[in-house]
Amino acid sequence: MSEGLALAGVSKAYGALRVLEDVTARFAPGRTHVLMGPSGAGKTTVLRLLAGLEDPDAGRVERPVGARLAMTFQEDRLLDGLTATANIRLPLEPLRGARLERELARERAALEAVGLPVDRRPVRELSGGQRRRVAILRCALADADVMLFDEPLKGMDERTARRVNDFLRPLLAGRTVLWVTHDEREVALLDRPLLWTVREGGVRGPHM
Amino acid sequence: MSGAPNRRRAAGGLPGTWGARLLAIAFWLLVWQLAATAIGSRIVLVGPVEVLARLAELAGTGEFWRSVATSLSRIALGFVAGALSGVALAPAARCSRVARELLAPVMGALKAVPVASFVILVLMWVPSSELSVVIAWIMTMPIVYTNVLEGIEQTDPGLLEMARVFGIGPVQRIRLVYVTQVLPYLRAALSLALGLTWKAGVAAEVIGLPDLTIGEHLYEAKVYLDTPSLFAWTVAIVVLSVGLEALARRALDAALRRWEARP
Repeated sequence: MSEGLALAGVSKAYGALRVLEDVTARFAPGRTHVLMGPSGAGKTTVLRLLAGLEDPDAGRVERPVGARLAMTFQEDRLLDGLTATANIRLPLEPLRGARLERELARERAALEAVGLPVDRRPVRELSGGQRRRVAILRCALADADVMLFDEPLKGMDERTARRVNDFLRPLLAGRTVLWVTHDEREVALLDRPLLWTVREGGVRGPHM
Repeated sequence: MSGAPNRRRAAGGLPGTWGARLLAIAFWLLVWQLAATAIGSRIVLVGPVEVLARLAELAGTGEFWRSVATSLSRIALGFVAGALSGVALAPAARCSRVARELLAPVMGALKAVPVASFVILVLMWVPSSELSVVIAWIMTMPIVYTNVLEGIEQTDPGLLEMARVFGIGPVQRIRLVYVTQVLPYLRAALSLALGLTWKAGVAAEVIGLPDLTIGEHLYEAKVYLDTPSLFAWTVAIVVLSVGLEALARRALDAALRRWEARP
């Protein structure tokens, strides 16, 4: 097993649709990797393979042993009946007493930092854009070694996107981050990212 | 601002919704009273005024309240037992194919067989004082079981996938992912089962005739051709049913809201 995340000779098809062909890519640990490419090129498939949600048809997916994962999906995948803070805390072990209070304070500060209301409403009452940010916070505050973001800022206005990333940047430092997007402007919001392109069944990079 | 005139127009020039409802009820009460007067036989039909008078008379007796309490507590016991066993069996059926296949015909039979058949059968096994407990249980369990199982099955696979990626353990997964998905189904099942169970429980008492219960009084009214008492007890059953449902709905809503408002 290697230290970082890697695809070694990986192929993946959905029925007749070949998405990835003999892809080899090593994602250096502790860095932010941006995966760009046209829609339908297989960016999400790369993330799902690395997360262990799909098995490759051929080749090997490598993940650091015991690595804790966090992820945002194309959909929010929030628990509609729970508050924003309860959703954000979902990946953590159950907390009580003073530790819960500390964690709550951290979550509330995070909600404020990205412009979300701090209250006791279940997230089903939040707008689509607000739910998206809750999902991003759940991933970012999960205390994970590997974070996979699938087009997290999609459809967000530029001011909010900047605000979210200003909050995220220190949290991403030192962790292995894969950031899928097709918006080049997002590259500028990230800290010294390594760029990869996903197209025509291949993953190429990192481009310096 | 524009809501009130619109609503009035929608009701076809009649006063507001509540007013219209009360008028409709008053209309039928009047029809009832007129029919009772026209027929002029207390055995065939009694008017609402007489029914209310009889109900007031009954409510002044200790026997009335003892009977209500006995029926209510036994049926409630069966209801709680049915709800608990339904809630316990549904996850078992989800986890084990064998359990599911074994339970399917049982639940199907419990739903399909008429209550009257069960009442007579159960009477051969248990004393009549415990009859309504068993009947309430039999009525409630399949409704709760079916709904909770449906809720578990409808749990969004995307959420389960999310829980897997984040490495969320089984306890948290059940507590947060499944329970939050299943709670609305459970709420619907309980409020549906409550009304049905209450009526089935009283019907069982009419057949089994346990001492000092609502069902026994209904039966006595039949035997003595005491139509005013029959109507008065029926009104009491309906009022209790509506009241219980409203109470249960409130309690469940409050519990759900508290669950959801946890920080």
